[in-house]
Amino acid sequence: MSNSTTPLYEVRNIGKQYGSVVALDGVNFKIHAGEVIGLVGDNGAGKSTLVKALSGAHQPSSGEILLEGKPVVWKSPHDALEAGIETLYQDSGLAPDLSVSANVFLGREKVVSGILGKLGFLSQKQMDKEAHEDLERVGIAVPASNRSVSQLSGGQRQAVAIGRAVSWARKVIILDEPTNHLGARQAAEVLQIIKRAKERGLGVVFISHTLPHVLQVTDRIVVLRLGRVVADAPTSTFDAEKLLGTITGLIETK
Amino acid sequence: MIRTSKKAAALVALAAAGALVAGVTATAARAADKITIAFVMGAESDPFFQAMKVGAEAQAKASGVTLIWQGDPSVYSPATQIPIADQVLAQNPSGLVLIPTDPVALQNTVTKAKTAGIPVVNVDTHVNDLTDVVSFITGDNADGGAKAADAMAKAIGYKKGGSYQVAVGLTSATATTNVARLEGFSKAIAKKYPGIKIVDKAYSSSQPSVANTNVNNWLTKFPKLNGIFAIDGTNADGASAAIQAKGLKGKVALVGYDAYAKNVKLIKSGVITALVAQDPAAEAKLAIKTLVEYIKTGKTATAKNVVIPNFVISASTSAADVAKYTYVQK
Amino acid sequence: MNRIREVLKNQQFILVLALAVMVAFFSIKNPVFFSIPVFGNILSDWAPVVLMAVGETYVIMSGGIDLSVGSTVGLSGVAAAFVMRSMTTAGQNQNFTILVGTFIAMGVGLLIGLVNAFLITKARMVPFVATLATLGAARGLCIVTTGGGPIGEGPEKAISYSVPWFGPLNTPGIIIIVIVAICGLFMHKAKLGRYTYAIGSNSFAARSAGINVKLHLAKIYVLSGVLSGLAGMYLYIRLGSGSPSSGASGELMAIAAVVIGGASLSGGVGRMSGTVLGSLILTTVTSGLIIIGVAPNWNQVVVAVLIAGAVFIQGFRTWTKD
Repeated sequence: MSNSTTPLYEVRNIGKQYGSVVALDGVNFKIHAGEVIGLVGDNGAGKSTLVKALSGAHQPSSGEILLEGKPVVWKSPHDALEAGIETLYQDSGLAPDLSVSANVFLGREKVVSGILGKLGFLSQKQMDKEAHEDLERVGIAVPASNRSVSQLSGGQRQAVAIGRAVSWARKVIILDEPTNHLGARQAAEVLQIIKRAKERGLGVVFISHTLPHVLQVTDRIVVLRLGRVVADAPTSTFDAEKLLGTITGLIETK
Repeated sequence: MIRTSKKAAALVALAAAGALVAGVTATAARAADKITIAFVMGAESDPFFQAMKVGAEAQAKASGVTLIWQGDPSVYSPATQIPIADQVLAQNPSGLVLIPTDPVALQNTVTKAKTAGIPVVNVDTHVNDLTDVVSFITGDNADGGAKAADAMAKAIGYKKGGSYQVAVGLTSATATTNVARLEGFSKAIAKKYPGIKIVDKAYSSSQPSVANTNVNNWLTKFPKLNGIFAIDGTNADGASAAIQAKGLKGKVALVGYDAYAKNVKLIKSGVITALVAQDPAAEAKLAIKTLVEYIKTGKTATAKNVVIPNFVISASTSAADVAKYTYVQK
Repeated sequence: MNRIREVLKNQQFILVLALAVMVAFFSIKNPVFFSIPVFGNILSDWAPVVLMAVGETYVIMSGGIDLSVGSTVGLSGVAAAFVMRSMTTAGQNQNFTILVGTFIAMGVGLLIGLVNAFLITKARMVPFVATLATLGAARGLCIVTTGGGPIGEGPEKAISYSVPWFGPLNTPGIIIIVIVAICGLFMHKAKLGRYTYAIGSNSFAARSAGINVKLHLAKIYVLSGVLSGLAGMYLYIRLGSGSPSSGASGELMAIAAVVIGGASLSGGVGRMSGTVLGSLILTTVTSGLIIIGVAPNWNQVVVAVLIAGAVFIQGFRTWTKD
């Protein structure tokens, strides 16, 4: 995890404008394999915009993105997924009318063999079984993987959404407010999942307003304010008060 | 920029579609010295009005006047006709031929025309108060119904003391033409052919497929059905398809209304027994002739009420008459 | 109570029950109803409605709406009629002419579907407005091209295909049943349906899962158009002519069938079997009322009651959800 190795994922001098509004202004940051980065900032600091650039949902107006040292351009979220970068968006991860396994495999369905498979016919049993295994592997116990997501509790849904992202991620996983609306016990489970992802050598970007969670699980914290990075330092150098001060601008860092 | 142009493109597409629906194309006002006759009809989609248009265009050419032909493309309704009539009057034509879709609602249009000094002739249907109307020219729907009854009796081989079943396919329960034809038909049956019973009536809402469903079910429900009176072209379409599909050609008599080219052909093949033909082209010709005469001289030889007789086309009708009475269609 | 709740949760069961009650009621009122010819009449009404409704099911499942299906039926039937009329005048083989007519009708449906797809995915119009525009344009074109009257003088054989030979079924009816079954399999067993549900359920989730949402929506609107085109050809075969008013208000029938079948208009919820039963119930009512001699205008009232009942049951299911 020393800075001398090539970062797993990196953005250099990223800018994004919406008309005359500057959402991101020369943002730089890196993430290494097996590292958890906390991305924090007040509302409007540019977190969502940065997440969209990282996940391929938006293209930045300027700057470059590098994966394993090579420049990449994401034309759609699909490109980023293909490259091994999974994103869990705030409150929007799942299709509630589909089953747990259908959600886990959404966009990457297993098809039956032969001509029917070419026509897109699904191998549902296999997906049910594998979804169950995948979720268990990342540490999530879900009742039955053929149940509709709308029948799950809020915490269970969030667990499935995170489990889905973690089980598919090959390189980087971006989690946008994964502990929102969760009870203390469920939030603790989510943090546990993040630790396991880190152990598997994934780079984790953890975006949250809940500062104790950020301090508890991350290795390094990047603070955004008004579209700029105002702090980028190991988590050990922050305490709750200093972090809050940096976010609000009460403590000047540069 | 891109967003704006996309929105604009969408608006243009919507407007284009809207224009197609409304079908209202404003025609610039003509020079004052030339006679312009405006013709506001019911619904362009009805071949009856198509045939009328052919007559109107021919007469306009013969009389050397300009014709403004307007009306809703498909909906026979005062709600769509009144704005069209207003727009036409705004072009200040020399005279107006109006086919009022409602006797009360269109009265005001006649009054407006009168105030503007534009003479009005009614064709086919009329407004309630005919005081300000130069002439009202129509086919006789009650007479058409009676003639259909005669044709029906002949087709089913009516004999005194016999017992016969017929059904009537209508478009709506309220359209004046339907009401008048049904009344003429029922009266003639009651008076001349008491052995015939009208066993059922059904409405097609101007859709051949609905008429077809109605007739299909009649043919199952009344296995002894002798004949069907299809009160307009739509019903004749639906009924003729049902009779053909069920193999009842020649077994169930079909008397229709309006001489649409397609249905006239079905007389030849024996599916339709007889058709009551109106003469919409003649109605339109007389209307324009009357107006031009009135505009030029301030009076007309045409009577206040003119009834153009109906004609029954059957297998025995001469080719010349068939050609004369078949509605001209694109 | 629990039992009642379980039964009410199974929309398919309720629909079959409703259909059975209707058939029993009409048959008691007039025994003629319970006969092969009447079932034939019902199925011949059902065929075009179910074709529109199957396409509409895909569209509604994706969270959209297609108002243009009825007009597509009209325009495709008219276009096929024009082509078949000139082929007949030229003395072409009748079966070949009908086959060409079928492809023309499907082609017109495909074109209208493409226009809808373009307006929705490229011009970013909401489906309601986009398909409202094509509804008007297609119906307008029907009238402009025909001058209002039906276009006949096509192959005489066409109408003979509408004669039932396999019990109450005719050849086009059998083909349509196969098509509906295939569409149902693709809906519930294949990616096409899976993505449709995902988009209707949460289009953002579908997009972030890497699904090409726009391309998928385009496929669905094209499918809806092609199926409506086939319905247009079916009505040509039934009437022996292409009428510009064919399929008028067909969109309302199709949407009603989907809703009675238990689908949610907001997308994501519903089954193809529900749509099939919903459309069958609608057409059974039409024929049944004629056979028992009830004034036809009651038809609309009965349909309204059916829709209200379906929505009530759906609400009941949501309400009793744990």
